[in-house]
Amino acid sequence: MNRTRLGGWGVLVLVWLGLVALFGMLADHFLSATTLTTVASRLPALSVVAAGMTLVIIGGGIDLSVGSVMALSGAVLGVAIVQWGWPLAAAIPVAILTGALAGLGTGLVTVGLGIPSFLVTLGSLEICRGLTYAVCDSRTLFIGAAIRPLAQPMPILGIPPTVPVALAVVVAAQAILSRTVFGRHLVAIGANEPAVRLAGIDTATPRVAVFALSGALAGLAAVFASARLGSADPNAGAGLELAAIAAVVIGGTSLSGGSGSVVGSLLGVLVIATLEAGLAQLGASEPLKRIVTGGAIIAAVAADALRRRWEGERG
Amino acid sequence: MRHARLAGWILFSATILSLAVVPGQGGCSRATPPGTVANGKPDGKPRIALVMKSLANEFFATMADGAKAHHAGAGDRYELIANGMRNETDVSEQVTIIEQMVARGVAAIVIAPADSKAVVPALKRAAEAGVLVVNIDNRLDPEVLAETGLAAPFVGPDNREGARRAGEAVAKQLDSGAEVAIIEGIVTAFNGQQRALGLEDAATAAGLRIVARQSGQWEMEKANGIAAAMLSEHPALAAILCANDSMALGAAAAIEASGRRVLLAGFDNVPAVAPLLADGRLCATVDQHGDRLAVEGIEAALAILTGAAAPQDRTTAVDLVTGQP
Repeated sequence: MNRTRLGGWGVLVLVWLGLVALFGMLADHFLSATTLTTVASRLPALSVVAAGMTLVIIGGGIDLSVGSVMALSGAVLGVAIVQWGWPLAAAIPVAILTGALAGLGTGLVTVGLGIPSFLVTLGSLEICRGLTYAVCDSRTLFIGAAIRPLAQPMPILGIPPTVPVALAVVVAAQAILSRTVFGRHLVAIGANEPAVRLAGIDTATPRVAVFALSGALAGLAAVFASARLGSADPNAGAGLELAAIAAVVIGGTSLSGGSGSVVGSLLGVLVIATLEAGLAQLGASEPLKRIVTGGAIIAAVAADALRRRWEGERG
Repeated sequence: MRHARLAGWILFSATILSLAVVPGQGGCSRATPPGTVANGKPDGKPRIALVMKSLANEFFATMADGAKAHHAGAGDRYELIANGMRNETDVSEQVTIIEQMVARGVAAIVIAPADSKAVVPALKRAAEAGVLVVNIDNRLDPEVLAETGLAAPFVGPDNREGARRAGEAVAKQLDSGAEVAIIEGIVTAFNGQQRALGLEDAATAAGLRIVARQSGQWEMEKANGIAAAMLSEHPALAAILCANDSMALGAAAAIEASGRRVLLAGFDNVPAVAPLLADGRLCATVDQHGDRLAVEGIEAALAILTGAAAPQDRTTAVDLVTGQP
């Protein structure tokens, strides 16, 4: 791990601590175990989606379909449990598989036809949302007790079991990125795809695989989100792609591909979730929430850019 | 270079999207196409356009199903064109649909407006083209109606009264001075404002203290986060009053995660809340009979078209649905 990257993470941790201190002063009960549980329980879904998005962006692509894919996987999960009476253990793999297949389709079209992933995923965003409404007949499915235990805080720790699972996924994704051939090829493809191809390395397989992985992680996020809400909501995940991209960018990953880290994106998610919880706890109005969130995204990215420039000047 | 290409693609795709989203904007939407008669009676049957919001919203899906069932039972009386939108709050898309319906020569437009004000000018143009406008669900703004001179009878529920009754059902179980929170819908929507007022009426009447009030934008996920924050910030919170059931579902999950006993009210009586009503996690919701709403609007339009009734406002039924105590 190089110094620049650790420096970037350090800035984010400082930004996060600053937010915690600020909300702690402004709100009466922000520094409490309940708030910790609240913020922690909101992390899993966004952090696994952001992990997938990080890998896609590092590989030089983008995935705008994650929110719709999450909704589709959630609908399949809900229908499997509520209407088909499947046990949770059988429904979860099917939900993840649904996401993986959606991502695989996106990847095959993107790479096979040589169309920018921005456009293909813009299309699959619509297709998957349409499929979601078709699968659950546009109706919210209440799942209830079958899935809620996943999101109930565990004794002593006070956080739901989805949190350690999500953290494990983030660590695994970081390991894939920095310690596997697939990960290193992905970084190289994002930096300079033609050069990698001319070096005789197969670029098509990793480029397709990364979209399938992103889809599978959106499917996993659907399990987390459905557990937290106790329901499968056909309108879930609207705008999730923007939150994930924001987290990835705050986390220091370059939008033009070729560099970045999954751990950084997790810190980005932490900043966004804390901001959201803090503003809600202060009772901020909807316009104010949007303005502050937008400002915070720009501020976090600017802080990282300034740090880079400063480190560059120092040599 | 890379950025220039990306920007090019974004521009290109935005153009494609805007073309895809606005079909029939090809320049002739105002003209009457050949083959239709201006009074909307190509074969003697009045043609009625039902213009709703997003059919992805189950309330409007139910509304559309109700209208189609009614039409199937009374198919020889009128011709039905049911329209939904892609996006709940996309006013320009609804305006486009209104223009298309005028171009198709409908006799009446029965509309659930996406915005209480912004669609009025388009409806005024429709009325000037001889189309009867009947307003259902979300009431058009009276001031804008007066200013444009559009006459559009409103057929729909009293959202304020419905929400007040749901709030009252919760208030009955609380002592005076208890802390309550309100999660509102989209604050610019008339029905959202009315429901918030109704919940406020109930809380004030029972002497409850409203300690928090935020908009959940009608969304489950948003309401879940807001409810969790409210529970953290207000340790003595006794009840959360939500302006729709989707948000009540999100709040119910937050209450369950907190392990506290907090009363809950919703609005709409969607099928998904049945289990919550059955075990008392949801105290009360309101059924405004969405499946009947469009039908009542269509019946009103038919009665006015045939001269059987004068164009006047009509309040439809709202029923309180309470859970097990």
